Amino acid sequence: MKHPFRWIALAVGAGVCVLAVVLALTVSSDPHQDSNTSRLVGKTAPAFSVQSLDGKPITSGSFAGKTVLVNFWNSWCIPCRQEHDALSSWYAEHRNDPSVALVGIVREDTKQAVRSYVKDEKVTWPVGFDPGAKAALDFGTRGQPETYAIGPDGLVVASKFGPVTPQVLDQMVAFAQGTS
Amino acid sequence: MAQSARTRWLPWIVLGAVVVGVLVFTAWPRGVDESTAARTHRIASELRCVDCESLSVADSATSTAAATRADIATRIRHGESDAEIRQVYVDRYGESVLLKPSSSGLGVLVWALPIAALVIGAGGIALALRRWSRQPRLVASEADEELVATERTRR
Repeated sequence: MKHPFRWIALAVGAGVCVLAVVLALTVSSDPHQDSNTSRLVGKTAPAFSVQSLDGKPITSGSFAGKTVLVNFWNSWCIPCRQEHDALSSWYAEHRNDPSVALVGIVREDTKQAVRSYVKDEKVTWPVGFDPGAKAALDFGTRGQPETYAIGPDGLVVASKFGPVTPQVLDQMVAFAQGTS
Repeated sequence: MAQSARTRWLPWIVLGAVVVGVLVFTAWPRGVDESTAARTHRIASELRCVDCESLSVADSATSTAAATRADIATRIRHGESDAEIRQVYVDRYGESVLLKPSSSGLGVLVWALPIAALVIGAGGIALALRRWSRQPRLVASEADEELVATERTRR
């Protein structure tokens, strides 16, 4: 080895190049993407069992064969309040459609606050408390609001992190029913 | 001569032994008799709390983090390995849920590069020391000594 320092410099340079490639790959894979998309899409929806405001069970099994929109929300989150009108108007239009259902699952909130909100804001679709946050965990939620569309075959076909609009909900349903 | 070579290499042998000892100590599997609670806490501290900022699942007070801890404990009781439990959360949230980079795929570079840099740096220092030790020491020539003696006499 005639010039050992030359080899060391070469090795360090190669190391820096490898590091640069790794960084470039990491940046191109968008670290925020993980937090904006659900990995549940395309998979079988987790079975859930939540409690309605009057303590009755609301289970995923009771919606078998329907397209179900599962909306994770709570009373104190501003985006949840912002999407309330969209959910209300969408539900008013579809409440008598036997092929679709909307369920609100409460995330990180107290029963008292939710009861007040449901009464004051006239929430008419089924709302359930999630004991032990099991449903929130099984759906892989990261916050609220988050909405998941489950097709009649039980597969999660779409998800939306953040407030929805009636158009988005219609798109999710159309996608779930294969009519988009 | 043999004594001198041994003395020269002894510090390197000791240093090598220390490095190997530290690596073996840190890599040696521990916690065989770890309790479920301790194992739950350890795994939870390696997972990012998904609905809070800069906290691990072990440190977070959100109900999702509490549910995650309960889920980890259940999985431990059902006999799942640490890797299997981590994989459940990677499948659910992606690699970003891991606070410690994965030791497979590209993640291995995060661990390997500093070690490679350390080895290359140590090699460089060793080569430099070797080269310096081989350089002939400066010896004053007779002319130099004469110059110095003349100068001292003059003063």
